[in-house]
Amino acid sequence: MYRRITLAVLLLLILALTAPVLAQDEVVVRFRSWSPVIATTEAMIEAFNAENPDITIEPDITNYPEYLVDLQTMAAGGSLPDLIGLEPGALTQQYRDHLMPLQDCAVATWGEDWEDQFFPVGIEQARLGNPEGDDNIYGLPVLVQTINMWYTVPIFEEAGVEPPTTYDELKELADMFNAQGIAPVMIGAGDGWIRRDVYMQLIHNIAPGLIYEAEDGMASFADEPFVEAMTWWKRLFDDGIFQMGALGMTHYPAAVEQIQGGRAAMFPMGAWWQQQAANPNPPPLDQNLAGYAPFKFPDVTGMGAPEDLLGGIDVMLGVTRDSANPDAACKVITDWISGAGAQALINTYNDLPAYIGLRPASFGSENQEAVWDLFTEEWLASVQYARQLKSPDVKQALEDALAGVAAGEMTPAEGMQLVQDANM
Amino acid sequence: MTRKWLIDNQGLFFMAPAMILFVVFVLYPILYIFNASMYDWDGINQAIYVGVQNYIEMFTDDRSFALSIRNSIYWTFLTIFPQMFLGFILAYILTSGVPLQNAFRVIFFMPAIISPVVLGIIWQRIYAPFGGLLADLAWETGARFLMQPYLSDPKIAIFSTIFVNVWQWTGFSMLMYVAGLQGLPGEVLSAAQVDGAGALQRIRYIVVPMLRHVHLTLILLGVIGTLQTFALVYMLTKGGPNHATEMLPTYIFLKAFPLQSMGYASAVAVVLLVIALGASIFQVSVLGSRFTIGN
Repeated sequence: MYRRITLAVLLLLILALTAPVLAQDEVVVRFRSWSPVIATTEAMIEAFNAENPDITIEPDITNYPEYLVDLQTMAAGGSLPDLIGLEPGALTQQYRDHLMPLQDCAVATWGEDWEDQFFPVGIEQARLGNPEGDDNIYGLPVLVQTINMWYTVPIFEEAGVEPPTTYDELKELADMFNAQGIAPVMIGAGDGWIRRDVYMQLIHNIAPGLIYEAEDGMASFADEPFVEAMTWWKRLFDDGIFQMGALGMTHYPAAVEQIQGGRAAMFPMGAWWQQQAANPNPPPLDQNLAGYAPFKFPDVTGMGAPEDLLGGIDVMLGVTRDSANPDAACKVITDWISGAGAQALINTYNDLPAYIGLRPASFGSENQEAVWDLFTEEWLASVQYARQLKSPDVKQALEDALAGVAAGEMTPAEGMQLVQDANM
Repeated sequence: MTRKWLIDNQGLFFMAPAMILFVVFVLYPILYIFNASMYDWDGINQAIYVGVQNYIEMFTDDRSFALSIRNSIYWTFLTIFPQMFLGFILAYILTSGVPLQNAFRVIFFMPAIISPVVLGIIWQRIYAPFGGLLADLAWETGARFLMQPYLSDPKIAIFSTIFVNVWQWTGFSMLMYVAGLQGLPGEVLSAAQVDGAGALQRIRYIVVPMLRHVHLTLILLGVIGTLQTFALVYMLTKGGPNHATEMLPTYIFLKAFPLQSMGYASAVAVVLLVIALGASIFQVSVLGSRFTIGN
């Protein structure tokens, strides 16, 4: 009996002594983000691990508001994970001191000309808001996007009409669809980001690039072009272009449900709308993206629509300075951008790849493939300007002003003055 | 430390666990937030000391904060008292021996146990002027007055939100009153009936005064609930449109995280704390004593 106990104690001691050594062989990369969704992330991890079985990735995906809280709490506690999801601009800048520059990782993986292997908008926006003289890349873009309009194909086919290119055409379609109980342009304008997206396209129609000059103090948000864009925004509500009560509806999920239900003729969204086709049990319109087609924002002001679209980074990834395994984290990021993990991601049509040349393994329909090619080969290459703004205060002021003007609480001039005040 | 000192001060040791918890989980966070409110700080990077500037800006140049305060006042008066009134009526009916009264109690109480997040999603679909339940009803029946911009018109959005809260919590008030009514001494009510008091007189002069402890409890819980309101508003309107339904907790969240102004959010949190303290002192010292002594 005594010998058995002695043996058991010895065995436990050996295990206790060797466990840390064994544990050291396992490299763990902790990943926290709001995007991609967990099912997609798990597919990316599986693809990565097939080639890198020695690295364990521990993902934790939460919704965006919760993610912001968690990230700040972890940063304050000095326990940031190895890999974090980032948005270009304000969020990345807030955590800049906690992030490692990633250009060395990029050069080691893709060579000196690595930037040429990405769509330009991804590289430009990765540096958005960097202090003057700081050319570091604190996050590498994984997915990029355009913002544009979509129409519901069966509704347009039944009506025998084409997507509008001018405001008059848009108004004519709106009158027709309103009479049929169909939302002409479905928007969940209760969400600030979609208000801003539409305004960005309006001001881009009037004065391409001017809004970024205003952000940098070289123009005023109270100037005439901005007020004019805001006036057009108001007209979209007053003329019944947007559905009734748009300001009290969220874009996700409320407006999206109406779109999927075939009750919207057109809607503002972006390239990411392609992911509808990959959802489990998609409604008929979503299946293989059969029911939707993209088109450019109409030339509502009559000044001639610019050829380029607005766009930006959907999600980028950064490696934190707290990371215990920065080399492994670099390996994960680069795989998810251009390797097996990236292919798994792209196969879900989640958005457009930041890395040039990736294609989904298969398409469900010719329309789906045509849409993909349109985005990656024509539209994305033309993106010059960002859909994002640098300052969270300006962004919020613009979103508030758009809501205030749409609700009739303030004039377009008063609204834009508020934005200018926030930029002081 | 002598044995005598230990014996003389043994009470300290009994208090210590509670005091330690109080200091760590209550006092320290309050002092931390108060200190943070004196800085221009994004919650991550170097903070810049600005003194009381956050407070000055809040009270002189912050429309959203003013709206939050206004909405909190609306919320306090338009949820607590209607909930109590409706809850009392329901409780009175459902303790008078109507058929299926237990089933009705369960049905009326059910919204109180549903998550505000779920309720927010459901009511957004009911209210939606396009494709919402009321709008579709209006479209099908011709009752177009039902098709209103309930959540998109800044003038009525806060009242639409308050309505959902009243709908959710009336059942809770009802349950409290049911418990209170069942605890009333039957002989007092019988004596009043023998003395010729009608049903309304019995309610006015006997039932309502004898339920004062329930009234006070509901007011207390209502004020606490008002100051903590977050999930329902966030899910229904996110505080919009243009901050028309902003409450102090949603505004604190907006400032602290999406807008990266943790210092300013801390200042708003301090104001919320002061309001909560003021309300508590008022309830205990003024409202509480009147209810206890009776008029």
